[in-house]
Amino acid sequence: KLGRPSELPPEPSPGYEADEEFLRRLHHVLLEVEVLEGSLQCPDSGRRFPISRGVPNLLLSEDEA
Amino acid sequence: EGGGGHPPRAAGMAQAEAAGDAGLGPAAAPEGAELAELAAVIGATVPTGFEQTAAEEVREKLGSASRISKDRGKIYFEVPARSLPQVHRLRSVDNLFVVVQEFKDYQFKENKEDALKDLEDLVKKLPWTDPLKVWELNNSLKKKKTKRKKHNLQSPASRGKPSDGGEEGGADQSNTNDQEDCAQAPVAAEAAGGQDAEHPQGVTSRNGAEEEEEEDSEQPAVRAGAQASSESGSKAGEGQTGEGEAKVLRFRVTCNRAGDKHSFTSNEAARDFGGAVQEHFQWKADMTNFDVEVLLNIHSSEVVVGIALTEESLHRRNITHFGPTTLRSTLAYGMLRLCDPQPTDIIVDPMCGTGAIPIEGAAEWPCCYHIAGDNNPQAVKRAANNISSLLRKNESKDSSAALGAPLDVLQWDICRLPLRTGSVDVVVTDMPFGKRIGSKKKNWDLYPACLMEMGRICTPGTGRAVLLTQDKKCFAKALSRVGHIWRRAQTVWVNVGGLHAAVYLLRRTPEPAQDARPCW
Repeated sequence: KLGRPSELPPEPSPGYEADEEFLRRLHHVLLEVEVLEGSLQCPDSGRRFPISRGVPNLLLSEDEA
Repeated sequence: EGGGGHPPRAAGMAQAEAAGDAGLGPAAAPEGAELAELAAVIGATVPTGFEQTAAEEVREKLGSASRISKDRGKIYFEVPARSLPQVHRLRSVDNLFVVVQEFKDYQFKENKEDALKDLEDLVKKLPWTDPLKVWELNNSLKKKKTKRKKHNLQSPASRGKPSDGGEEGGADQSNTNDQEDCAQAPVAAEAAGGQDAEHPQGVTSRNGAEEEEEEDSEQPAVRAGAQASSESGSKAGEGQTGEGEAKVLRFRVTCNRAGDKHSFTSNEAARDFGGAVQEHFQWKADMTNFDVEVLLNIHSSEVVVGIALTEESLHRRNITHFGPTTLRSTLAYGMLRLCDPQPTDIIVDPMCGTGAIPIEGAAEWPCCYHIAGDNNPQAVKRAANNISSLLRKNESKDSSAALGAPLDVLQWDICRLPLRTGSVDVVVTDMPFGKRIGSKKKNWDLYPACLMEMGRICTPGTGRAVLLTQDKKCFAKALSRVGHIWRRAQTVWVNVGGLHAAVYLLRRTPEPAQDARPCW
C-alpha cells in the first residue's frame, strides 16, 4: 500500500499480460519505487516487518520462531 | 631500439592523447590505423579453477579463442590492439599483461651463473617493439580512466585492506598462486625487494619492510623486483607519453618462479634480468614509481616475458566497504556464470555478506533480479552501502537520471527465508567457512538446514545452486542427506585467500519440496 489506491487493482485481472498500462504501473511499483522507511505485512498473520533505510528486517523474534 | 621512442598514434585514441599530441596532423593517421590492428597477445590472470569460464567470456565478448594454462590461473588470447578497452571490461580477469614472448620448453643451465647469464642475454633478443606499442596504447586508456575516477565519491577499492589475501606462506601450501601475489600488488610495490638485490653498477638497494615473508624453497613462487636507487636523486617528472621526445622511462621487473630444478631464486632472476633491461633500454629502475612493469614468469620449463597492463588488481572493483571475508568480484563472476543465468531469472544470495555476488550479478546480468540477504546487521549495512556506492558511481558517468539496479537487500534468517516455495531460479552463495566466520561445529548443523531451505525456495527441475565452501567434508555429508532435492553437477577447485575451497554446482531435482519446514 503506497497510499495511491487508484493505481493498482487488488488482484491482477485476467489477460493482464497484454495490458500495457497495467504492466507499466506494476513495473513502476516493483522496480522503480524503493521503500526507505515503512513495513511489510504478512498477509496471513498480519505481523509487520519493519523497513529501515531501505532494508526490510525479516528476522523472527525468539518466541515467534 | 629504445623504450621512449616514437609514441604511437592510434586513430581511435587520437582524442585521448590530444594533450601530449599537439601539432600532429593527418600524417599520423595511417600509423594510427596500423597500430589499432596490431595483434596483441594478452595474458590474463584469473581465479584458479575458473580458467574455462574466463575463456568463455573472452570468446563471447572479444571473439577470440584462448589458450588455457590449466589450474595456474592464466589464460592467453590474441586480440587487435583496438580491443583493449573491451579487454579491460572483462569481469573474470584479475590482471592483464601483454606477452613479449613465450617459451614452452626453456632449457635452464644447471649452473646458476650460466642460467642467469642466459636470462640476461635473452633481453636483447626479445621482440619488444610491438608489445611496447600495446603498452603505450594501454597507457592512454588508463589516463582516460584516471580522469574519470577523480569524479567518483569513493576512493578506488583496491586501497582497502586485502581482506581475503590473508597471509601466504606456510609449509603445507604448495604452489603459491600468482593471483594472490597480484592481489597484494599495492602492498608489494612498497614492500618488494626486501631481499638484497644489487644493482649491477654497485649501487646498493634500499630495502623496504617486507610484509610478506616467503621462503624461496623449491615449490612456492616468490615475488621480487630488481631495484636500484639513484644516488644522485631521481630525474624529475614522469612526463607525458606522446611528447615526441624520448623520455627516460622507469621500470621494475617482477619475477614469479615456480617448480624445482632451478638453480636460482626469483630475486636473482629479477635482478639480473632487470639489469639487462636497464642496459638495453637505458631506462631507470624504480620499485615504486615505475612506468613499465616487466613480468618474468617462470613455471618449470615454461617462461613467459610480459609487460603489465593493469596496476591495481581488478578484482575489488565493486566493493568499497569491506567485510572480514569479502569475496573478490572475479570469483563472484565465475560463480554466477556457472549458474548460466537466463533473462528473468530470480537469483538469490541468502548469505550475502558484503554483497559481492549479487552486486556483480546485477552489473553483468541486469535482465535478472538479484536478491541479497544476511542475518548479520553489519553485513547487511555494508552490502547496502556497497550498492549505494555503485549507484552513485554510475550516476556520475551519465547526465541522465540514475537508474536503479535490479537488486535488493534484506535482513533474514537462512533457515527461515521469507520466500515462496519453488519461486527462485538460482541460489548462489559463499557458505561460511569454519576458519574465518563461525566454527566447524556450527557448520555441521547449518549446512543441512541451509540446503533444505535453499531446496525449498528453488524451482524443482530447473533450479540450480552454486555454492562456495571450504568445509568440503561437512558439505559432502550434508549433501548426502538431501539427495532427493539436490544433485551435484560440477565441482570447481579454487583457492580463496590461501585456503583450498570448492565451488559446487547443484541441480534441483524435479521432486517438489514440502512447505512445512522441519525443525533443526
